[in-house]
Amino acid sequence: MINSENTKAQMRKGVLELCILSILSQGDAYPTEIIEKLKETKLVVVEGTLYPLLTRLKNTGLLTYRWEESTSGPPRKYYMLTEIGVTYLKELHLSWYELVDAVNKTINKQD
Amino acid sequence: MNKTVTINISGIIFHIEEDAFNKLSKYLSTISGYFSKADGGNEIMSDIESRIAEMLQSRTSAVKQVVLMSDVDFVMDSMGKPEEFAGDTSDNTGSSERAENYDTYAGEPIKKRLYRDGDSKVLGGVCSGIGHYFGIDTVWLRIALLLMFFFAGTGLLLYIILWIAIPEAKTTAERLAMKGAKADINNISKAVKEEAEQFKKRMEKYGSEFKNMAARNAPRNSVEKIIDFIGDVLINIGRVLLKIIGVCMVIFGVLFFMGLFGSVFGMSFMTSNVEVQEWIDMVLMDGKDFYLGLLGISLFLGVPIMMLIYGGIKILFKLKYSNRWVNLSAGVLWLFGFIMCLYVGIKTGSDFSKEAKVREKIEVKPYDTLILKLNEMPVNISEVHASTEDHEDYDDEGVKITNHNHDDYMIGKHDGIKYLLGHANLNIIKSQTDRIELLIVKESNGNNKLSATGRAKNIAYKVNQIDSMIVFDNLFKAGNADKFRAQDVNVILKLPVNKVIYLDKSLLGFIYDIENTTNTYDGDMINRRWMMTEYGLKCIDCDGLISKSDYEMPVHPEVPAHPKTPAHPAIHINNNKDTKVTIDNNGVHIETDKVDK
Repeated sequence: MINSENTKAQMRKGVLELCILSILSQGDAYPTEIIEKLKETKLVVVEGTLYPLLTRLKNTGLLTYRWEESTSGPPRKYYMLTEIGVTYLKELHLSWYELVDAVNKTINKQD
Repeated sequence: MNKTVTINISGIIFHIEEDAFNKLSKYLSTISGYFSKADGGNEIMSDIESRIAEMLQSRTSAVKQVVLMSDVDFVMDSMGKPEEFAGDTSDNTGSSERAENYDTYAGEPIKKRLYRDGDSKVLGGVCSGIGHYFGIDTVWLRIALLLMFFFAGTGLLLYIILWIAIPEAKTTAERLAMKGAKADINNISKAVKEEAEQFKKRMEKYGSEFKNMAARNAPRNSVEKIIDFIGDVLINIGRVLLKIIGVCMVIFGVLFFMGLFGSVFGMSFMTSNVEVQEWIDMVLMDGKDFYLGLLGISLFLGVPIMMLIYGGIKILFKLKYSNRWVNLSAGVLWLFGFIMCLYVGIKTGSDFSKEAKVREKIEVKPYDTLILKLNEMPVNISEVHASTEDHEDYDDEGVKITNHNHDDYMIGKHDGIKYLLGHANLNIIKSQTDRIELLIVKESNGNNKLSATGRAKNIAYKVNQIDSMIVFDNLFKAGNADKFRAQDVNVILKLPVNKVIYLDKSLLGFIYDIENTTNTYDGDMINRRWMMTEYGLKCIDCDGLISKSDYEMPVHPEVPAHPKTPAHPAIHINNNKDTKVTIDNNGVHIETDKVDK
C-alpha cells in the first residue's frame, strides 16, 4: 500500500531546510516566529520537527544565535544566518529553481 | 477538586493538574530518549522545553491559572509525536513502528536514572543525585563521602570521578527521570493496572500474530520463539555479569588508588608502603628528577586506575553519556606520565651504566690465631625498612638473629639526613705472600668511570684490629648525595698457608661462599677454627661434625652430640680425648670425659 502522507512529509522535510534559511535571510527570528511563518504556508505540520533541524544547522555553522530576554516568557533564542549560511542559501536557491524547472518539465511532458 | 503539582519549565513556574503532569513528563522523557544520543540533544531538549513553556503560558492567565489535560494535549498535538520529528537526527527506519507505542505515554512509569541534581547541590550535586537514585537522605551520603576523604583522599577522588561520570539533570525530563515516579499508593496501583493492561494487549497481539504465523509456517515460528527466549535469558545473564564487572572495577580501582596514594605520597595507612617514596628519592638523580618521577608514576598508574573506577561507575548506573574530553585528557595525561617515567628511567638507568671498583689494602698484624668478629652496627632506621625483607629467625637459645641477604639495602636517617646502608661480605683466600692482608673492594656504578670511582671512594666502611681480633663492620654507608648506585663492599682476607683463624658466631651471614677443603657451608663454618693449607681452608676443630675421611671418627659417640648445645658443638683438643673444651656464648668450659662417666 502506498502511503501518500509519508511521501508528502518526506517532500516537505526536504525543502524545510531551504525554507528556514530563506525566512532567516529576511531577518533574525526565534523559533516561534519561524514556526508561525511556516504554518502560514502549511510547510510544517508538527513543531517538533523544527528544533532538531535548527540545532543541526547551527552545529554545521550555517546559523548562529543570540539570547534576548522576553517580557512575556522564557528568554528567546534569536537565530540568524552566518556568512557561510548566506552563501549556502544562494547555492540552495539556484539548485531549487533548477529542480523545479526539471520537475515541471518532466511532469508536463507526461501530461 | 483536583490535585495540582508545581513545576518549572525553562524557568517559568506552572501549576499543573496531576494527570496532566504525568502525561507531560512522560512525553518529555520520551522526547529526551529520542534525542539523548543525538548531537546537541540537550540543546534540542531545552529549545523544545522553552517552546512548551511559551505555549503553556499563552494558555494560562490570571483567571485560568492551572495547566489542564487539554493544554497538555494541545502542546503535544502542535509539537507532534517524537517519532515524527526525531527522524531528522536519527534514521527514519523504525520510526513508524515506534509510532504505535505513542498512546502508552500516559501509562509508562518514568524510568529512574542517575543524574546530578543541580538544584540542591553543595559542589556538583553528586550526593543529592545519588540520594534521589537510591532514595537515601543526601546528608548520610555527604557524611560518608566526607569520612572517606580521610582514607587517603579516596572520597575526593570518588567525588571527582562521579562528578565527571554523571551528567547533570538539565532538562525537565531529566529532572523527572532523576527523581523517578513517587512511590505512593496511587502511582503503584496505577502502574500495576497499566502493566496488566499492557500485558493483555501484548498477549492479544502475540496471539493474533501466532495465529497468522501458524497458518503459514508453524515450525519455524516456534523455533524462533525458543531462540528469542534463549536470547532474552542470555541478555539478562549478560546484564548481571556486567554489573558484577562494574562493581569489581570500582572496588579494585579504589583499592589500587589507596595503595598508589599511600606509597607515592607517603600518606600511608599500610606502614610497609612508606619506603617507596624514600627509595624513589634514593635512586633518582636530584630534586627535579624526584618530583618528575613522582608525578610520572602518579600519572602513569593513577590515570588507568581513575579510568577503571570511571568505567565501573558508568557500567553500574548505565550512564551512556560519554565525555570525549575526559577520555582524551586521560589519554594525554597518561602519555605525559609515561614520557616522564621514560625520561627519568633512562636518565637514571644511564647512571648505572659504568661500574668501578676501588681497592684498599690493610696490613694485618700477625698472630697465631686470628679471631674474626662482626660488629653489628647500631642502625637508626627511621620508618624505613630494608628493600627486601629481613628474615628474622630465632636460634636455638631463642635469641633473635637477623639473616641479611647480601642484596639487602636499607635507608637510615640521622638528623634528617638520609644515607644508604648496605651489607658488606667477607671472603677468605690464600695469600701468595707470607703476609696477612685485608683487601676492601668498594664497588659502585655511575654514568662514567669517574663518577663511579668517586662514588665507590665515598663508601664508608671500617675494619678494626684489636690485638688478635679483627672486627668487621657489618654495614657500609653511602650518602644520599651519591644515591643508590648498586654500591657494594667485599672484604677479602688473604691468609698465608699455616695461619689459623677462628670464625666467630657473629659472622653468620657476613661470610660469603668461602671455599674450603671440605666444602662446608658458610653457616657451618662459624664457631670453628680454620687453617689455611695449600689447598684452601681446612677445619681444625670439626671432629665429629663432619665425618670425612680426613678426620678420625670420635671414640666416644656422646661427645660430638653434646646434649645441651647441639648446634654449637664442642671444640676438641686433639691428642687429648679425655678433656673437652667448649667455647660458646656462655664462655669457656673445660670438661673431662671421666666426669660424664
